[in-house]
Amino acid sequence: MFFFILINNNSNKMFFLFIMFFSTLISISSNSWFGCWIGLEINLLSFIPLISNSKNLLSVETSLKYFLTQSLASINFLFMILIKFSLLKNFNMNNIISIMMNSSLLMKMGSAPFHFWFPNIVEGLSWMNNFMLMTWQKISPMILLSYYFNKNFLIFMIIMNLIIGSLGGLNQTSLRKLLAFSSINNLGWMIFSIMISENLWLFYFLIYSMMIFMMISLFFLMNMYFMNQLFINNMNFFIKLNLLINFLSLGGLPPFMGFMPKWIIIKFLLINKFYFLTFIFMMTSLIIIYYYIRIIYSSFMFNYFKMKWMNLLMKNNMLLINLSSFISISSMILSTFIFM
Amino acid sequence: MMKFLFMMIFMIPLCFMKNMFWLVQMMLFFMMFLFMNLNLNIMCFFNMSYMSYCDIISFGLILLSIWICSLMIMASESLFKLNFYFNFFLFNVIFLLIMLYLTFSVLNLLLFYFFFEASLIPTLLLIIGWGYQPERIQAGMYLLFYTLFGSLPLLMGIIYIFNDLNTMTIYFLKFFNMNMYLLYISMIFAFLVKMPMYFVHLWLPKAHVEAPVSGSMILAGIMLKLGGYGLLRVMIFLQEVNLKLNYIWIIISLVGGLFISMKCFCQVDMKSLIAYSSVAHMSMVIGGIMVMNYWGFIGSYILMISHGLCSSGMFCLANINYERLHSRSLYINSGMMNFMPSMSLWWFLLLSSNMAAPPSLNLLGEISLINSLVSWSNISMILLMMISFFSAGYSLYLYSYIQHGKYFQGLYSFYVWFISWVFIIIFALISFKYDNFKGWFYFYLILNKK
Repeated sequence: MFFFILINNNSNKMFFLFIMFFSTLISISSNSWFGCWIGLEINLLSFIPLISNSKNLLSVETSLKYFLTQSLASINFLFMILIKFSLLKNFNMNNIISIMMNSSLLMKMGSAPFHFWFPNIVEGLSWMNNFMLMTWQKISPMILLSYYFNKNFLIFMIIMNLIIGSLGGLNQTSLRKLLAFSSINNLGWMIFSIMISENLWLFYFLIYSMMIFMMISLFFLMNMYFMNQLFINNMNFFIKLNLLINFLSLGGLPPFMGFMPKWIIIKFLLINKFYFLTFIFMMTSLIIIYYYIRIIYSSFMFNYFKMKWMNLLMKNNMLLINLSSFISISSMILSTFIFM
Repeated sequence: MMKFLFMMIFMIPLCFMKNMFWLVQMMLFFMMFLFMNLNLNIMCFFNMSYMSYCDIISFGLILLSIWICSLMIMASESLFKLNFYFNFFLFNVIFLLIMLYLTFSVLNLLLFYFFFEASLIPTLLLIIGWGYQPERIQAGMYLLFYTLFGSLPLLMGIIYIFNDLNTMTIYFLKFFNMNMYLLYISMIFAFLVKMPMYFVHLWLPKAHVEAPVSGSMILAGIMLKLGGYGLLRVMIFLQEVNLKLNYIWIIISLVGGLFISMKCFCQVDMKSLIAYSSVAHMSMVIGGIMVMNYWGFIGSYILMISHGLCSSGMFCLANINYERLHSRSLYINSGMMNFMPSMSLWWFLLLSSNMAAPPSLNLLGEISLINSLVSWSNISMILLMMISFFSAGYSLYLYSYIQHGKYFQGLYSFYVWFISWVFIIIFALISFKYDNFKGWFYFYLILNKK
């Protein structure tokens, strides 16, 4: 089902979809920087056809913007690996080269100081493309980042990510932009986790993508793009509950699953004695929770003045979403029992 | 302890059946009586199983929370009558009860944090979901962000302790002495916000005013005690640094308690008056915990229990008036003695125990707290005197405004009495008397053993 939604029932897109998956695998499994670069390029060229949608006027502009930013980043990346190849020996580290390489990769994944394309492009994509952009497209730059990074630079970038991701979403009304800023914030957590270990990153990334998948599929099924739509639609009680639980889970509040990766990353932060950084992590996640709760006001309040004529005729027959929100509630509690 | 946990977990399917409202409530009562007869050991922890245990502090607070939860269901009978998502309400209460139960009984500091935070979500849902005015969103945000702002550093502190000591078992923490200022602040600030201490109390009156009766009862009854419980637990390894810094918290809370007591006289909303009065009482509890002597320990424990009973009872009574008159204003609620003469007895009993008049458990707690604080500093006598005096004052103010005087002329029709309220009152009476006797008895036992 998921694939068919993703490719918009267009079998030509199936090809590009698989190329996209394949290209990520190329870039994360190649053993030379050049192979990585090739994987990134194929990835870019296969994602652009997936964006295109004849019903959406913005899709052309979006694909152009995406192409420009990504190819800029790729050119930088290529330039830097060539310079690295010609100037440095194999295992040499150099501050400037590593910073340049890292920043091109950060631009590829839409990290904070190079994030300006990200909320714009997100506006022009459908929900499922958004999902791909926020999860799958981040894999290869992030894995490449873990091969060769400058620690101090990345910590600075993490702080930028956290602050921009949390403050940027404060005044938004578009759900896609909100999720984009939240993904920028989560990128801070992910970059930190990939500095510690790949397994930790995998754990955070999987749980994050699962949570974001629940939300995005819910919004996709309900056709919601802006915050006021949540108020004018007469939602089923259980759908409201799912929305509520998933957002609180994404915010990392304790009884839900989203707390677990955050807790473990905080543990690693404190083991590595990043006390001040931990404080920033926590306080920005507080702001994140604030705007998540702004989204779910309508589900928090069981009764408010509704416009009765906007009945959303959707039954709660979405087994997938119910199941996932059940996981979101219970997995944390069950896992505490298991680990004790 | 697992048996009660399983009893609560298996009560969850019952919540979603039709017409099981009173059955769930009765099961909670039943569980409370089962729990009450748990084998009790005064000096040590007992009933340790799997990951939870119970000592005298947890025992009392768990008993209180089961009791308050069942009374909450009883008091919000109108949800059942109006069919206002009462199934989900029951689930919410049971979930909250499970979280509270685990908070009070877990053995591990991190799990304590986890359940401490987890109990916030159902409370928030109670306030925002079943509250009345649109302002309840603001109240809920205040509640959430005040407490989260305090408790995120608590998580840092707990993990720091784990990295440092390689244990998070609460019982073992008494063998350590962590003499660090930042750790101290991060460990106690969450609890001070939750209590609430004077400067960070703003969320409490807001939340109380907007909450439905069940939300108010659980807030005043248990949520404030979570802070006290946490302080009692973490003080044990922060003794040395606390001796240096405790004067800050004691002074803030005592002076703040005085200010808050005076502010009570300016209230015209019954619920916000009761909310402010509970801030004033909690200030004495903070003082008693922070001076760290035996009187303070016992006194704060006893005052937490007794305040949980009497303030949630007062919120229930305020809601009874509110459901009759659809207003909580003191001017509209005046002269109720003409309509509900037997209710005025309950107002009298609960308010007299709120002002710590003799037969109540509050008196015991306040005597111990006054002892502890006076032994700490003589100057605190002045503040304590004023707080005690004013607490009697605003209790009388509330009582005389509601019960005496002329009734509101605009009252059109007014129905007086439901049979279920008789039950509530009878149960409240039982708890009131029972807890008084039991409380004094334990106090006697503890003092003698010492």
